[in-house]
Order: sequence, then C-alpha cells, then structure tokens
Amino acid sequence: MKQKLRSLMSRQKWVAIAMATIVLAGVLSVVSPVFLTLSNFQAILVQSSVTAIMAIGMTFIILTAGIDISVGAILFVTSALFAQLYMDTESYFLAFSVTIVCATLLGALNGLLVVKFRISPLITTLATYSIYRGAAIHLTGAQNIPVPREMGFLGNGRLFGIPVPILILAALLVIGVYILSRTRLGVYARAIGNSERSANETNLPVDRSLIVIYGFSGLVTGIAALILIARVGGLQSGIGIGIEFTVIAAVILGGTKLSGGSGTVVGSVIGAVFLVLIDNGLNLMNASPYIYDIVRGSVLLAAVAIDRYSAVRQQASLEAQRAERIGLESEPNTAEFVPHPEHVTAK
Amino acid sequence: MQSVINFLKTYPALQIIAVLLVGFSLLSPYFLTAGNFEALLGANAVVLIAAIGMTVVFLAGGIDLSISTVISASAVIAGLVMAQTDSVVAGAVTAVVVGLMFGALNGVLIGYFRLTPFITTMATQLIARGIAFVLSQGIAVKGTPYWMLDFGFMLWMGIPAVTLVALGLVVVSALAMSQTTWGRHVMLVGSNQEAARHAGINTRFVEFSVYLFAGVMAGAAGFISIANLGNAIPGVGDTLLLIIIGAVVLGGTGMTGGEGSVERTVLGVAILAMLTNGLNLLGIPFYDQLIIQGVLIFLGTYLAMRLGSRGRA
Repeated sequence: MKQKLRSLMSRQKWVAIAMATIVLAGVLSVVSPVFLTLSNFQAILVQSSVTAIMAIGMTFIILTAGIDISVGAILFVTSALFAQLYMDTESYFLAFSVTIVCATLLGALNGLLVVKFRISPLITTLATYSIYRGAAIHLTGAQNIPVPREMGFLGNGRLFGIPVPILILAALLVIGVYILSRTRLGVYARAIGNSERSANETNLPVDRSLIVIYGFSGLVTGIAALILIARVGGLQSGIGIGIEFTVIAAVILGGTKLSGGSGTVVGSVIGAVFLVLIDNGLNLMNASPYIYDIVRGSVLLAAVAIDRYSAVRQQASLEAQRAERIGLESEPNTAEFVPHPEHVTAK
Repeated sequence: MQSVINFLKTYPALQIIAVLLVGFSLLSPYFLTAGNFEALLGANAVVLIAAIGMTVVFLAGGIDLSISTVISASAVIAGLVMAQTDSVVAGAVTAVVVGLMFGALNGVLIGYFRLTPFITTMATQLIARGIAFVLSQGIAVKGTPYWMLDFGFMLWMGIPAVTLVALGLVVVSALAMSQTTWGRHVMLVGSNQEAARHAGINTRFVEFSVYLFAGVMAGAAGFISIANLGNAIPGVGDTLLLIIIGAVVLGGTGMTGGEGSVERTVLGVAILAMLTNGLNLLGIPFYDQLIIQGVLIFLGTYLAMRLGSRGRA
C-alpha cells in the first residue's frame, strides 16, 4: 500500500498536493465547524477561481521552461479595457469580444517577442509587464470604473445551482487537460521544455507552439479578468499586482517543474485551491493580514524542499538498485567520464 | 577611432546614455544642472547598491528575487533598532546583519540544498515582505535619528554622500570580482558549472556566497533607503524589482551567467535614472513612463545582447 502510494506520487505529481489539500481541509474542519459546509466549499472554489484559471495557462508556459511575469498586468489591462469599452459603448458583445481577443493577442505578443528576440522569457515579460500596466492606466486615466450590476452574474451568479466561476473554471480545466494530454500542442509543450534544441532539431514547430501557448495563457487570463471585475464590481487600480507570483506558486505547488518538461494542469488548479485554503485557515485564526505572506512563502519553501528531498531519495534508490544489479557496492563517480570502448571504436 | 567603436561595442549602454543625455539636455533646460544631477544621483543610490548584488548573482548564473523586499525588511528592522537606541551605527549593523541572514538562508537553500533559485527567492521574497509589514504594522517606522536625516542630504565634494557610499561599494565589488580568486570562481561557475566543479572549484560554496553577498548589499540598500526617505518604509522595495533587474540587463550582464560586470551595472542604473528623471522634468505622467521604461529595457537588453555578448540574456 505504502509502496503503491509512493509510486503513484512519483508518477503523478499532483497527487502530493491533492493529499496536502485534503489534510489541510481536514485540519480546518476540526478547527472550525462552518468549514465543512457546501457553501464554504463553494466559496473557497470561487475565491480561487481567478488564480486557478490563470494557473492553467501558466502551466503550459512553465512546461516549455518559460515564465510569464506579465500575467498580472494582462489581467489588469483587460479588466481596464472591458470597463472602459463598456462605459463608452454599453455593448456587452463588443466589450466581451474585444477584451478576450486583446488578452489573447497580448499573451501571443509575449510569445512572439520571446521567439523572435531570443531574450529570456523572464526579462521579456518583465518588460511587457511594465508596458501593459502603463498602457492600462493610460487608457483609463487612473480612474476606478464601476461595471453594471448584471456583470455580477459572472462573478456571483449561479447556473444549475453552481456558482458560475466554478463552472468556467471546470470547463477550462477540462480543456486544459485535454490540450495537454490529447493534442500535439501538449506534446510539443513538454518536448520544448525538455530540450528546446532537440525540439528544433526534430523540426517541431517550436516558434509557433510557443506563440500559441503564451497566447492561450493570455486568453485564460482575459477570462479570469472578466470574473474578477464582476466579483469586485469594477476596475480598481490594485488589480493584478503581485498575482503573478501567486499563480506561479500554485503551478509549482501543483508539481510542475520550473525547468520545464513535466507537470499537470490538475495539479496547478489544486495548488491554487490550496493557497486559498491557507488564507481561509489564517482568516479563521484571525491572523494579521501581514502574516499571510510569511506563511505563503514558508509553505512554498517547504514544498520545493520536500520535492527536492524526494527527488534525491528516488535518485539514490535507483542508483542503489542499479548497483545491486551490477553487483557493486557503489560506482565510483569518475567512471562516467571514461569513454566506453564501443563508442571509441564506433567513431 | 577603431578603439572608440570597439569600446562602444563592448558597452552598448554608453550609446543609450549618450542619446538620453543629449536628448534630455535639448528638451529641458533643467536637466543639465548641478541641482538636478544631485537629486538624480541621491535618489538612485538604493537601486545601485541592490543592483550590485543582483549583478553578482546573475554572473554566477542565478537570480535573487528577494533582494527587493529584503531591502524593506532590513530597513524596517534597522529603523526599529534606531528608534530604540538612537544609534546610527547600531542601525547600520542591524540592516547589514538582516540582509546577511536572508542571504545566508537563500544561499544555503540554493547552494547546499540545490533548490531552484527562482522559486526559493520568490518564497523568501514573500517572507521578507511579510516580516517588514508585520514588524512595522504596515506604516513607516518613526524615530529616525537626526544624523540619519542629515546624512540623506549630505554632500561630499558636491556629490550626495549616499551616492558615494554606493560608488564605494561598486569599486569594492568590482575589485572583488576582477582581482580575487572568489571573483574568478563566480565567473567560472556562471559560465559552466560542471566545468567549474571538475576544475576543483567548490561550486556549492560559490553559489552560497553570491546569495550571501546579494543579501548584504540588500541590507546596505535598506539602510541607505532610510537616509533617503527619512523613515523606514515597509513597502520601499516592492516596486524596485523591475528596476533592479532592468538596470542589470541594460548594463549588459546576462541572466545565463559568466557575462558582464559590476561596472556595467552602473551604466544600466544610470540609464534608468536618467530616463525617469528626464521624463519627470518633461512632465510625462508615471504610467507613460512605465511604457517607455518597459520598451527601453527590452530594446536595451536586445542591443546589449547583440553587440556586447553573444550569450542569451
């Protein structure tokens, strides 16, 4: 049983964060009687929907060994665009479609810049972060713009008794899982993350895939922006500040490797929920809001440390097994640099 | 002539500086005045000191996102100590020790436990920010000694004292990078960690040491920020990350390690400092400045990469 669980955890990285989430939920339900109610459960999911949706897009980017620091700015600029457009035209259709298209294009622009200029994604998106944020404030003149009350349906409404943000999150989760596990784009994303050079040499459409992946992240961020602005009730200047790090943290907690190549969409969404659970727990304990950052940071550190520790142990046990097979106590480390005779003769 | 062109090619940042200097001098009569440069230099001492640390981490092939909020944490803790003791020396020592401790934490986790620099420092960034806000209750720490307030406005040879402190740290760091074994080890680890390891360099210690160094610089920057602003502000570092990283890459130090130098970062800081100052003089609103800054960081990095080094920024 223990062995089975361990092998499941090493193959499916998201199982670890799922178990951590269940344990945390268990602790919280003991601490607070209101925790284990359907309405609180729904509230937690609704609260995590924005970061969870953004984490779906970020998962693909991190799978390619990339990063997008500008997602918070895209969230802000698309919120601003929607609020401004609706105020000017009073047309939902126009405001919605332009916002979603723009969000996708801004994401794709990140991808295009990364591909064309060969500057690291971190620097590229740090620059576009500044540009997008400036553009958004330029657009709205640093005003807070309210959105109409009907908009609230996207943030607080229900369909078939389920809150709308949860339905949108679920739909995007299914789409994300499908793209990653059943389409070429998913395979390309992992291939690029494992080795961009090999992906190029095997003639995979690396550039096009990267643009599409960054564009997809922009798209889901645009959808998240609509939910966020509907929940908040209007455009506020603080929207999206620092959210990129929460999103990245959710993806990493979900078991996706920052170096690319391995990870799951499900894990990222659970990671986002986990982060909200922590906030929820701190809230139940009446903790100072300033403590939140310290706890989040410590949890993130613990997660990467545990991940590293288990990777080291796995490596050690693999090496021990191999040594047992060959009948050695342990292999001397220098051996790997002596060329194998076969390789020498083959040349 | 040829040597001048070569010089400009090695330091593409100088071209941008020349353009900014000429452009802003023509556009604003106030730009090229002693008073303006005093203000410009004084306001950027914190960024310069922090950028030194980031440069050395970049040179070793790492990244330290926590520098920005370690500035805040060390400023707040030093501010509290100074409010209690009224001793500037105690404050300075505290700030540096706080930075040192964060640097040591990063260094041990990254160098010895082999955790990913980006995630590790992202986590310590959150922790440092939380500590700064918890200890200060989210407001500026009052009770800064008078000497500290004077120090912020003090001029030595017509140059703000805080800037001279920053430049002094630049000289010491540049010498450490170019003249000591440690500096050469940092460059080697940055350009090829495997090769460095096989050459017998203690790569783990080198990695540990660069984060320690960056922490100390962040602590010093935090202390100087009190002199600049008059109080220890818990949010002082929050917005600095983009500027610090931007200045380092604009100077021509790549993120892949082994390429660049501390001197170059001075040029990068100068570019962003002149840009902000000049645009302010021209009355450009801050949001348009954000756009211009982003474009300049991107294009400048591209230029530095194409002309200066062959590495990937």
